[in-house]
This record gives sequence, C-alpha cells and structure tokens, in this order.
Amino acid sequence: MLRRLALIACATALGMTAAQAQNTPSPSGAKEYIIWPHDGQVIQGGKLWVRMGLSGMGVAPAGVDKPNTGHHHLLINADLPPLDEPIPNDKNHVHFGGGQTEARLTDLPPGKYTLQLILGDKDHFPFKPPVYSDKITITVAPY
Amino acid sequence: MLRTAAVLLLGSILAAPAALAGNTPSPKDALVYIGWPNDGEVINTRTIKIWFGLRHMGVAPAGIDKPNTGHHHLLVDADLPPFDEPIPNDRNHLHFGGGQTEAVIELPPGTHTLQLLMGDKDHVPHNPPVYSKKITITVR
Repeated sequence: MLRRLALIACATALGMTAAQAQNTPSPSGAKEYIIWPHDGQVIQGGKLWVRMGLSGMGVAPAGVDKPNTGHHHLLINADLPPLDEPIPNDKNHVHFGGGQTEARLTDLPPGKYTLQLILGDKDHFPFKPPVYSDKITITVAPY
Repeated sequence: MLRTAAVLLLGSILAAPAALAGNTPSPKDALVYIGWPNDGEVINTRTIKIWFGLRHMGVAPAGIDKPNTGHHHLLVDADLPPFDEPIPNDRNHLHFGGGQTEAVIELPPGTHTLQLLMGDKDHVPHNPPVYSKKITITVR
C-alpha cells in the first residue's frame, strides 16, 4: 500500500499518469465481452444472470498475482471509471473478486440499464491496455 | 495421501465408490455447464469455441488455494475420471489451469462427447465433484 502511494506520488511529481507507473500489462488480443444478455434485449421481470466472457486471458480471484489473469467488474448504469486507479466498489461498479464468471442481478425495477464489463488486476486496477467490453443497453419490463 | 488411502480403503470396504472424491469442498449449488455448443449441435467447422459456464463458484488458476474456486477441465471423448486423484492431462482431458473460461479446440469430423469437470488447485475434483452434463456434438 505504502509502495503504491509512493509510486503514485512519484508519478505525480514527474508529471506522468499513474497508468504508466502501475497498471498490470494485458496480453495482446485479450477481449472481455458480455455473452448474455444481448444488446437491446428485453428482460421480463427484474432478475437475470449476466454471463461474463473473456478471451485470451484467464480469471483469477482478487489478490492473486498470476500473469495474464484478472477478475470481472460489472458496471451498471456507469461509464468507464478512470483507468489509472482502482475500480470503484459500489452498486454501480460490482466486483467479482471471487473469480465468478456469472453475475446474478435481482430486484431491478423496470427501466433501461446499461451494462459493461471491465477487467481488474489483483488490486482492482484496470489493465494496460485496459480490457473492457462494449457497453450494452437492456430493458427490464414488468412481469 | 495417507488419509486418501484410508478413505479409499474404507470406501472399498463399505462398497461405497460414490463417496470417493478429493478433499476440497465444493460450495453448495455449484454448477458447471457447457454454455456452447448445445447438446446435439451439428458443427460445420473443425475449430470450435467452447464456452464454460459456472455458477455459485469462482475460477482460479491451478495452484491457487482459495475457497470456493477451481479451474475447468474439458473431457473430450472421455468418461469421468476417478474423483480421488488428479485429473489426467492428455488430449482427452484438457486442463485450463490459467483460469480460462473458454477454449478453442479442433476436432476431426465425426461424433464427439464433451464434458466439463472442475478441479481444485491440485487438479483433483472437489467433494462433491462438480461436473457438467456430457453432451454429444457432430463435426461435419
């Protein structure tokens, strides 16, 4: 932690972006995508499984330091967060630090939602280059 | 190992082979399945992307000791191996120890079976074992 702070301070002092100092490299060709639901899909009722896809890389729980692995984060109604700091952890930025590859969403009130995935490293930082999916829009319709 | 041997012995004595499994507990409701292809699918290309589905459990690379995680093994034209020893590592038992959640494999024309089996950090199935339905596909 102290080391990271020191790195950030150093990067700032040098006028670099923090991204240059610390993001974990992603392998070329790595791709994250939402397998299901599809863009534009209408979901009856507010419950669904979001199936999270990853090509060219592996999944590892948070805290695991293995090259070419990361864990999924699901952005709900949120834009991509800053790429040079840990991904926020709140109801719009859901972490799957247990290495999960599917996300159960429940109790979504009817309406439109955007979903997007971004892969985080062991410390929840985006990779460099960042690995994230397209942002899709779904509609939750009442039963 | 001794414990495994003892369990094995006990299992033989009690004639309860179904109880044989590794020592890593699997979470309740853990479910592994083949997201694609579907059972019975006829595929017109030899290169097939298999998508691994997993619920109520997480993925971790081989060697990582984290509760409620494991990594996928794809059985191609093979039956389930013994549950109390490491899953074989050959062309019929493909390991995804890098934590991969999909695979691109090449299959010759014909009928093939596919099945997923989760392994723990040492490639031994969990207790109870977590495996998918075995599906059959045809490659043209």
